[in-house]
Amino acid sequence: MDPVTLAVLDNRLRAIVEEMGEAMLRTSYSQILNSSRDFSIALCDAQCRLVAQADHIPVHVGAMPWAAKAIAEAFPQPVEGDTYLLNDPYFGGSHLPDLTIVIPVFAEGALRFWSVVRAHHSDIGGATHGGYNPGATEIWQEGVRVPPIRLGEGGGLRDDLIRMLATNTRIPRDFTGDLMAMIGAARLGEQRLKPLLAKYGADGLEAAVSAILDLSEAHARRILAAWPDGEWRGEAFLDDDGFDRVDVAIRARVVKRGDSLTVDLSESDPQTTGFVNSSYPNMRSAVAMAFAFLLDPDVAKNDGAFRPVEVIAQEGTVVWARPGAPVTMCTSHCSNEIVEAIIRALQHCCPERAMGGWGRRFRVAITGQDARRPGRRFVWHLFQARPGGGGSAGGDGWSTSGEWHSAGGLKFGSVEMAEARFPLLFESHEYRPGSAGDGQFRGGLGGRLSLKVESDGPCRANTAGDGVRHGSAGMCGGEDGKPHHYVLRRADGTERVLKTKEVGITVNPGDRVIVEASGGGGWGDPAQRDPAARARDAAEGLV
Amino acid sequence: MLTYRIGIDVGGTFTDVVGIASDGGQILAKAASTPADQSEGVVNGLANLAKALGLDLASLLARTERIVHGTTVATNALLEKQGARLALLTTEGHRDVIEMREGLKPERYNMRMPAPAPLVPRRLRLPVTERLRADGSVLVPLDPASLDAAIAAAKAAGVEAVAIAFLHAWAAPQHENAAAEKVRAAMPGVFVTTSAEVLPQIKEFERFSTTAVNAYVGPVVSRYLAKLAGRLESAGFAGPLFVILSHGGIAPVEEAARLAVGTALSGPAGGVAAAVALAKEGLGQDLITFDMGGTSTDIALIVGGEAALGRGRDVGGERIALESLDIVTLGAGGGSIGHLGPGGTLQVGPRSAGAVPGPACYGQGGTEPTVTDANLVLGYLDPANFLGGAKTLDLAAAQAAVARLAAQLGIAPMACAAGIHALVNARMADGVRVATVRRGVDPRDSALLAFGGAAGLHATAVARELGLQRAAVPLFAAGLSAWGMLHTDLRYELAQSAIGAGGIPEDAELRRLFDSLEAQGRSRMAGWYQGEVTAKRSADMRYGEQVFEIAVPLDGIDWEGPDLAGQLRAAFHARHRALFTYDLPEEEVVLVNARIAVVGALPMGGAAQREGAGGPAAPLGSRRIAIDGTALEAPVYGFDALAPGQEIAGPALVESATTTVLLRPGDAARMDERGWLDIALH
Repeated sequence: MDPVTLAVLDNRLRAIVEEMGEAMLRTSYSQILNSSRDFSIALCDAQCRLVAQADHIPVHVGAMPWAAKAIAEAFPQPVEGDTYLLNDPYFGGSHLPDLTIVIPVFAEGALRFWSVVRAHHSDIGGATHGGYNPGATEIWQEGVRVPPIRLGEGGGLRDDLIRMLATNTRIPRDFTGDLMAMIGAARLGEQRLKPLLAKYGADGLEAAVSAILDLSEAHARRILAAWPDGEWRGEAFLDDDGFDRVDVAIRARVVKRGDSLTVDLSESDPQTTGFVNSSYPNMRSAVAMAFAFLLDPDVAKNDGAFRPVEVIAQEGTVVWARPGAPVTMCTSHCSNEIVEAIIRALQHCCPERAMGGWGRRFRVAITGQDARRPGRRFVWHLFQARPGGGGSAGGDGWSTSGEWHSAGGLKFGSVEMAEARFPLLFESHEYRPGSAGDGQFRGGLGGRLSLKVESDGPCRANTAGDGVRHGSAGMCGGEDGKPHHYVLRRADGTERVLKTKEVGITVNPGDRVIVEASGGGGWGDPAQRDPAARARDAAEGLV
Repeated sequence: MLTYRIGIDVGGTFTDVVGIASDGGQILAKAASTPADQSEGVVNGLANLAKALGLDLASLLARTERIVHGTTVATNALLEKQGARLALLTTEGHRDVIEMREGLKPERYNMRMPAPAPLVPRRLRLPVTERLRADGSVLVPLDPASLDAAIAAAKAAGVEAVAIAFLHAWAAPQHENAAAEKVRAAMPGVFVTTSAEVLPQIKEFERFSTTAVNAYVGPVVSRYLAKLAGRLESAGFAGPLFVILSHGGIAPVEEAARLAVGTALSGPAGGVAAAVALAKEGLGQDLITFDMGGTSTDIALIVGGEAALGRGRDVGGERIALESLDIVTLGAGGGSIGHLGPGGTLQVGPRSAGAVPGPACYGQGGTEPTVTDANLVLGYLDPANFLGGAKTLDLAAAQAAVARLAAQLGIAPMACAAGIHALVNARMADGVRVATVRRGVDPRDSALLAFGGAAGLHATAVARELGLQRAAVPLFAAGLSAWGMLHTDLRYELAQSAIGAGGIPEDAELRRLFDSLEAQGRSRMAGWYQGEVTAKRSADMRYGEQVFEIAVPLDGIDWEGPDLAGQLRAAFHARHRALFTYDLPEEEVVLVNARIAVVGALPMGGAAQREGAGGPAAPLGSRRIAIDGTALEAPVYGFDALAPGQEIAGPALVESATTTVLLRPGDAARMDERGWLDIALH
């Protein structure tokens, strides 16, 4: 294949996923999609190899081909005009709130590509609002399960099926609106691939795709080959599973030989009662995410780039739960801890590429009444007071930029808008001094928030997250960031520490939620830190 | 006696000066840009224009009715981090808003990317004890002691500018105004700006950041404009000096100094204004502007004859939330370097040869093949006649640079040159696709308007790749931005947030809100201009739980009629349907911002009419060129010599001193009497 045509097609395929992503942003309905961009777009070839993926949320980077594979297995004879849907983590999904639309693209009478769109829905039924149920001990308590289904054929859709699914969610309108946006984006991918297939021929395009994947593989292997060979171990701990287990370990044994890497997670702890277990595709994605973070940013994230990595894991461990176990938390936790364990291992191999730990997610949702809008129940999700990013050889970490799995891709909303629309007062929302892990390059600062609730009558709150026992990991001699510390301060001044996995907390008007978020992990020996940088941190009031 | 209007566009390399005479005559002069003090290049350009007209500078300026200027002073200050040292006075407990950037970081997989330094360091983000609620009521009164302490700290730091940005000042500016008054009294000569004055809109990050940028560029822009006005005055100019702003309208120089942040896109705004003017002349209602320069390419959309506006953008990594032209900039142009990418494929850009060393063919030491080198090797450029003969290109150097890359790729040099040309075309087309789909526009319904030095060689290939039927290249392609500045109106934009816990204010409140905004706008315009003034109302609205507002034009609203809120709701549902194919009639509709654009219509000249003397011009000669792997002999025409209505079929080259148009096989060009080459693509 000539290098010019190859370069043109490589650009074109990436532009198609970017255009699909723009269409998704423009047409999605719910906040979680159009503001937080919690969705991913991918093109896979007929063999379900990842060809191109738009950069939205890193946690989905390696997961999408598993959805295409699950569809291909369930429907060995796809027909042009079919639309498929799944969300089940035991059939190609990550966790139940992530719905995935898969559309087959045909040319010259045969399947050539899969156009794949995954998006996090704001509600998927189940026992609690918003999909995160810390009390779940089995997946059936987490929401509606959708194994691979044919949602429509001949370009049409089964309205009855969509109604049935929507009926099982709390906000059917959001569900349907977002589903339509997903289908529209997936169809756009099909429309854009067709002229390419016509112009270059199905065989020509397939040859180009194979060559593009091979080039990415060579790119990744060239980078790997420059690292020293060896075997290293790293472990990371979840705080707890919300039930009786604390310090749940994720253990990575990483072997680097030549231009290949083996990541063995099989020594990780057994699966847990609560929802911090990972599904298999999510675990594969977390490994891919860790690897992608260590490569150069310009390596194309496709099947070729991930070929040098072999993954070994055991079913029944926390990183690969047996069917039936709850897994909703997994795209955050234990996804982040899988990354952390791998980077901990490889910090000894490629220290200049390793980075201090990014924060862990600790979400709070509050629901109640607003006297200014009688009769309308509000539901508010905490996105402010984000944790910090990790330090690296490139410099200090990014402050309040979030978790490893989103890496600065999730936006928190305006405080003014929140106050205008919810009975909440953000008394202060600034950096949390001293939260960053020290190092030659320190972590980013976490946020600190004092939030006063001014609702009409009592509210109820749920939490879902991790990171009050374990801060963001320091790497290469850097120190850990301070862990999260969330407090509920009653109007009468009494306080209690919030746990990361609670349901049904009563919050009364005048109560405050005081959030102190984790800073990022430091990188490198703190003794090596430039004294000028220390002086600047002191002058800036960051320590 | 002829009088003149003059447009001045300061580019990275050249300052273009366009004069339009009262008899419709148009003339372009150029001078080298002078980055250290742009006003020097401006005056040199004016002197060159005077010379070309056979006048001295003083007599030209004495006959000049108005000068409109596009400046990159604010843009450069942001890109080069050369703005003023400033302090930010802000609500206690919220001083990290501008550095937190809503939690966003660019480049998901670039984990080792250092965080940028904020415009204002944390120690100069000074807390003031005060607090408003979202309805504008006072929760904590402004504490004078905390204000004094902040002012003392700002003074001690020796700042040149102070930005004042308090929470919910969009709803009630009194705390900011009181603070500003005290700062002005205590710190004479310091540039002071408040968030309610710059952008009285809810969403603190956008408002605070825009205000901080205004303080950062304000002193620099004010100094520059004062110097320019002084130079022009002492050279004999007594007329009004205007500056083109990021929204594509113009304003007097005093306004540009006050709201300096509004000049951040002044540079590329002229080209978009030109496209709007050409749309009025009959070029077409739906256009895609394609302004390809040396290091970057600007793309903007004209929809229904009007330029698309966006609600903000980043310049130099800083958020500016003012309404501005929705220009998409791609990091590729004629100077972009072709190279073997780390992934093993051919890549073009993002590195550029810039002005120094420039493309290999400039003979200034460049050794890597640029897009311009590839175009020269393919025969599209005349080595002996570049910039009207002002420069000779070194073909051998270009061939050697291309051959080196070809060897790395294992292909023939001509295939490599063709590859660079094709790849940059594909990237441009992809950029246009994303720019259009992001805005819900199907590019195939538009015509491509190509201008800027490099666009003519790529226009029809890019248009074909996009499935367009038509492209156009104005004869004035190289000076089009300066020309456009003389074809746009005075414009003043105001906005006011009006969001409460409810959805849309009641009818009486709605009338009061829009009437008061319009009165403010008309009153400011009256200070600039006595002619006809129109006001356009619009609103930013959304469904209750959505996060992004959409702009809803309110042209058809009966403001005195019944159920005004209901009319606004209906307008929003219809707009939502038009943009996103669906609406949600049951859902709560929220009005976030009320907007007014006040426009003062200036007299314009039309496009340059071509005189119909003589028959069709014969080719000047021919050149051997390679198109899509085929070598052929293409006729070369002089752009200036083409007769109105003259038709040329591709393959052919059409050259002027400042631009070259490549017509590919299947392209059918016709010289329009209104001054552009109109190309049908078959």
